[in-house]
Amino acid sequence: MTPHVTIAASSETPAAPEGAASAGSSVARRDVLKTIAAGALAALATPYIRPASAAPSQLRALMWEGYLLPEVIAAFEEKHGVKFTPTFFDGNSEAYNKLRVGGTRDFDLVQADGFWPSLYYREKLIRTVDYAKIPATQHLFPVFKPAEFKLLTDAATGVDFGVPFCWGSYGTTYNADVVPAEKAASIELLFDPAYAGRLSTSARFEENIALAGILVATRMGTIDKPRPNGKPFNPYDLTDEELAGVEKLLIEQKPLLLTRYQDNPTLAQLLESGAVVAAPEFAQTYRLLLAKKAKGEIDTTFAHTLVPKEGGLGWVDTWLVSSGVPDGPMLDVCQSFIDTMITPETMKKVALASGCSTTIDIRSLSTPEEQALYLMDRTGELSKMYMFDQPSSTEKWERVWSRMQAA
Amino acid sequence: MKGRWAGRALLGVPTAFLLGLFVLPLLSMVVLSFWRTENYHIVQDWNLGNYITLATGGAYVTFLIRSLVMASAVSLVCILIAWPVSYSIILYGGRYRLLLTLAFAVPFLTGEVLRVIALQGLLGPLGLINAMLMALGNAPLRFIMYTNVASAIGLIYLYLPIVVTVIYLSLLNFDARLIDAAKIFGASPLRAFVEVTWPLNLFGTLIGFALCFIPCLSATLAPRFLGGPNGTLYGMAMAQQFGESGTWALGAAMGVVLFLTSLIAVLLVGMRVNLRRTGFTGFGRG
Repeated sequence: MTPHVTIAASSETPAAPEGAASAGSSVARRDVLKTIAAGALAALATPYIRPASAAPSQLRALMWEGYLLPEVIAAFEEKHGVKFTPTFFDGNSEAYNKLRVGGTRDFDLVQADGFWPSLYYREKLIRTVDYAKIPATQHLFPVFKPAEFKLLTDAATGVDFGVPFCWGSYGTTYNADVVPAEKAASIELLFDPAYAGRLSTSARFEENIALAGILVATRMGTIDKPRPNGKPFNPYDLTDEELAGVEKLLIEQKPLLLTRYQDNPTLAQLLESGAVVAAPEFAQTYRLLLAKKAKGEIDTTFAHTLVPKEGGLGWVDTWLVSSGVPDGPMLDVCQSFIDTMITPETMKKVALASGCSTTIDIRSLSTPEEQALYLMDRTGELSKMYMFDQPSSTEKWERVWSRMQAA
Repeated sequence: MKGRWAGRALLGVPTAFLLGLFVLPLLSMVVLSFWRTENYHIVQDWNLGNYITLATGGAYVTFLIRSLVMASAVSLVCILIAWPVSYSIILYGGRYRLLLTLAFAVPFLTGEVLRVIALQGLLGPLGLINAMLMALGNAPLRFIMYTNVASAIGLIYLYLPIVVTVIYLSLLNFDARLIDAAKIFGASPLRAFVEVTWPLNLFGTLIGFALCFIPCLSATLAPRFLGGPNGTLYGMAMAQQFGESGTWALGAAMGVVLFLTSLIAVLLVGMRVNLRRTGFTGFGRG
């Protein structure tokens, strides 16, 4: 038996259309409740639903903290009438995890490096961008333009899905007063017992394994041999034998390490104090130490090996647009933001603030010292580097890392 | 009747809180622990693989043993330091004793990360201790630079205030006239302490122990910043599963094991206490 409720219409009620419940008709309570629930839901959801054509009021970015320039952001907010909301991450895998669990609805702009953007595109986490709407891309160094730099172009369709931003390697910064340059030219330096207790590496498990993987594959002679997958050697796709070699090598390295540094200031302190004489890093600490040396704050001479002779790891940070962004004003704002961030004037500020090399040619704005320090004439060396990538099996790599940590 | 409903309503709030914010997340973690991950993808494939990996994969057992040893040692040291400190405050603190106890909580006004990083600066190669030693022409103390000793110092620094506060509160509620009574009946100060003060404050001491032991077992920050290459503890390894390696299902299984280990540890300690002797009730036994 269904309970009923009678709804009486007032005299002001407009004429109901045919078929609708008229005055005096009997309406099921369930229907009334459904209507109320739908109304409440609509009221609650309204703030979150915006037509694609509506002017955006917010721009949400998932990005590296080091690239945040408050004055540039403030000017952009004022010009476009949007509020910029950044969320920061430490590693690509963390950003990937965030995007996969609904992040395409939560972020409009995303940053990633190496091969990660192509993974994002394959998994439909990001969308295409139009270089014509980002005029500052004309200032990209030739090596980073789509014609040469293929990591941000879909091979099948030829569409672009990202814009290069900053670049660098995971080279070795070393104390040139203690370590000879010829030793520093090889990854072997990081495993040399002669420097026991005076070496350090980052706490990033992917890059530790990949870098050791290059050395292991070189020692095993597999680096130039045909690979099981038919592709060229990639230190992020190691065979089980190579991974076993990496585990052994990393265990041997443990007693040689003073620590695995967690952040750049810690590494800078360790190098400055002489407690550490060599460590792989993104050259940011190296630039910081060179600046201190130039000011006369330190006496030690530091040098940086960009690409070791066995091969090295490299990265190109990029700006990407999330697949949650539809065509229209929102996409326009995203592309305008990217354009603002890669203008030569902004990129100069980014380089100085973050200590990174830029993919935009800012030589006309830089002194000869800055050009040398920020590797502006060495972009060609990018081709010798293996780009940061997703490990072929995170499960296998995690086991290798855990066994090494427990050993 | 009205009072009974009011009581149920008041108890309902913490019950709902526990159910919503503790039981449900724990259950979701248990479910996740029986699934698996494949290159950052969760595969809803019911299996015991994660638990088999934890039991047979050596490394995780090592992390757990390291953490158990570390948590036990740190908790014991904290108790050993906290007892005389709390006892002195009770005996000699006078009208400032609450202020003295609260002074121990001052470090809590800053974040845990900040405190650990500050300690890293203190114990590191350029830290106050080693810099002073080197300025005096001595060799730096390498055992406090990125070692398990440094981790232990960090954990003691982090959790000692909690233990001091708990033991202080226990002693505050202790009727000191019982010591006088014991002395009147011929007990020496040591015997009065061993037979009266200690057992009657044992429950508070054990609560202090547990409140130090459990967070130490899952500690991530101190071993990460202070522990060095050989300092990986269970909590740090577990956090890694949820971070860069993205092996969430294995991390969930590690969480379940950690929860059960903590529970067993607390039960083992609790079973050794005669609650009636310590003057506590409320465990359903009157």
